[in-house]
Amino acid sequence: MDGTDRHGTSRGENRAQARAPEMELIREAQAGSRAAFDALVRQYEHQVLRLALHLTGSEHDAEDIYQEAFLKAYRYIGNFRFECSFYTWIYRIVTNLCLDQLRRKKTRREDRAVVTDHSGDEIDLLASVSDDRSFSNPAKELDRKLLGERIQVALDKLTPRERMVFELKHYQGLRLRTIGEMLSTTEETAKNTLFRATKKLRTQLAGLR
Amino acid sequence: MNCELAHERIVTAAYGELPDEQIHELERHMAGCPDCHTEREQLLALKILADAHPVAEPAANLVARSRRHLEEALDALPPKRWYERVSQRMMNNFASLQAAPVAACLLLVAGAGAGCLGGYEFAQNRAAHTAAAATAANVAPQTLPGPQAPVAPAEIANISSIVREPNSQVVEVRYNQVVPQRIEGSLDDPAIRQLLMLASENSASAGVRDDSVGLLAAECRAGHGCQAAGIRDALMVALRYDKNEGVREKALKGLEPYVAEDVRVRDAVLEALLNDADPRIRTAAVSILEPVEGDTSVRQVLHTVAISDQSPQIRTVSRQVLSRVPEIQ
Repeated sequence: MDGTDRHGTSRGENRAQARAPEMELIREAQAGSRAAFDALVRQYEHQVLRLALHLTGSEHDAEDIYQEAFLKAYRYIGNFRFECSFYTWIYRIVTNLCLDQLRRKKTRREDRAVVTDHSGDEIDLLASVSDDRSFSNPAKELDRKLLGERIQVALDKLTPRERMVFELKHYQGLRLRTIGEMLSTTEETAKNTLFRATKKLRTQLAGLR
Repeated sequence: MNCELAHERIVTAAYGELPDEQIHELERHMAGCPDCHTEREQLLALKILADAHPVAEPAANLVARSRRHLEEALDALPPKRWYERVSQRMMNNFASLQAAPVAACLLLVAGAGAGCLGGYEFAQNRAAHTAAAATAANVAPQTLPGPQAPVAPAEIANISSIVREPNSQVVEVRYNQVVPQRIEGSLDDPAIRQLLMLASENSASAGVRDDSVGLLAAECRAGHGCQAAGIRDALMVALRYDKNEGVREKALKGLEPYVAEDVRVRDAVLEALLNDADPRIRTAAVSILEPVEGDTSVRQVLHTVAISDQSPQIRTVSRQVLSRVPEIQ
C-alpha cells in the first residue's frame, strides 16, 4: 500500500498533488488551448518515442507512431473523462498504434545466428557469447551487439500482444494492472500473456548463457 | 501447490507482482522442487539476457524532428466550428455530472435549499414592508394571488370587503392588518398628540382611553397648545360619547377653561348636563357653568334641569345657579 514521506504525506496524496497541474493543462487543452496541449506533449513525448523506438527498432516508424498518437490525442482529448490518468490514456493510444504496427510488420529480421567476427571466422551466436560486458573491448562490444540482435529476433517471434506485454512489463516497468488498462483487458489476462511470452523467449534463447 | 502453478508464480514473483503470502508459499515449494528451482534460475537468466537489448533514450534530433512535424500537422488541422465546440463543451459538462453524481446531487440540494431560504426571507421582508406602508399611509391592503398561509386573527385590524368570483370557489377578501409599533416623545410632539387623540376615540380599552383623555385634558388645563382644533374636539367627543364615566369626567375637566369662550364647548357641557347618565358628571357640568356669561341656551338648560333632573341635588344646584342669572349674564 502507499507509504508516507517524511512530511507524513502518503504517496497517493503526492501523486494527486502532482497531477493537479496536469489536470489544469488537460482542461485547458479540452477548452481549445494549443499551448496547453503542447505542454502535455512535452511531458510525454520522450516516453512515447522511447516505447515506439524500442518496439519497432526504427526511428522512422517511431516518428510515425509519435505523430499519429498525438494527433489522435489532440482530436479526442475532449473525450477524456479523468476516469484514468492521462498517462494511461496516452499510453493506450500509443500501445494500440504499436500493436497495429507490429501486426502489419512481416517477420523480416534475418536470423543472424551465424556471423563473421573480426578475424574472419564464423561464430555461432548460440555458443560463444561472452559474459564479460566490458565496453572498452571491441570484440565484447560486438558480442553485445549481436546478443541484442538475437534478443530482438526472439522478441519478434512473439505475438504482437505478447510482445507488447513483455515490452511494457520488462522494459517499461509498468504494473500488470496498468498494462491491463492500457490494453483494455484484465490484470489476470496480462499476467497470463506475460507468462506465455517469457516461456517462448526462454525457448528461443535456450542456447544462450 | 503444483509445479504448473509454481511456474506461473515464478514469473509473477520475478517481476515483483506476487503478493507476500504467495511468495512464502512459493519459496517453500521450490525448496523441495529442483525443477521449479531451475525454472526460476532460467527466468532470471532471461531477464538478464533481455537487458542486452536495452531501451535507448531517443536522440535529441529525433525528438526535435518529431515535435516539428507534429506542430506542422496540428497547424494544418482545420479549426473546430462553433457548433462542434459548443457540443463538445455540453458533452464534457454532462460527462462531468455523470462522473460526479453525488457532487451533482449535493449541489442540487444545496442550491434548492438556498433558493427556498432566500425566497422565504424575501417574502417575510416584503410582507413586513407592505404592512408597515399600509399602516402608515392608510393604504388598502394588497391582494395576494394564490393560496396564502392563514393570518392570525390578532393581526387583522378589520375586514374591508368580501367578493366571490361568479361560478367559482374563489373568494377575494380584503383586510387590513395590524402592525405593532412604538413611539416615544414629548406631549408637545404633534405625532404624540395625534396618537393620543386617536386613542381617545378608537381604543378598545377603557384604560387606554382614560389615559389618553387624561393627558389631553391636563394639557388643556395647563394651556399647552390646546387652542388648535383637534384636542378640544377629541375631548368633546369623549364627553358626549365615551361609555366610561371616568373618561367623560376627565374630558369635562379638560374643557372647563374653554366653556366661556367657545360656544361649542358650552353646548357640549350643556348636553352633558341634560343627558349624561352619571350624576357626578351632571353635577360637575353645572359647577363649571357658574362663572360663564349666560346666554339663553344656558338659562333654558338650567331651567329644565332645575325641574326635571332625577337628582334632587342637581335640581337644587340648578335653581341656585338660576337665581344668580344676573351674575352669569
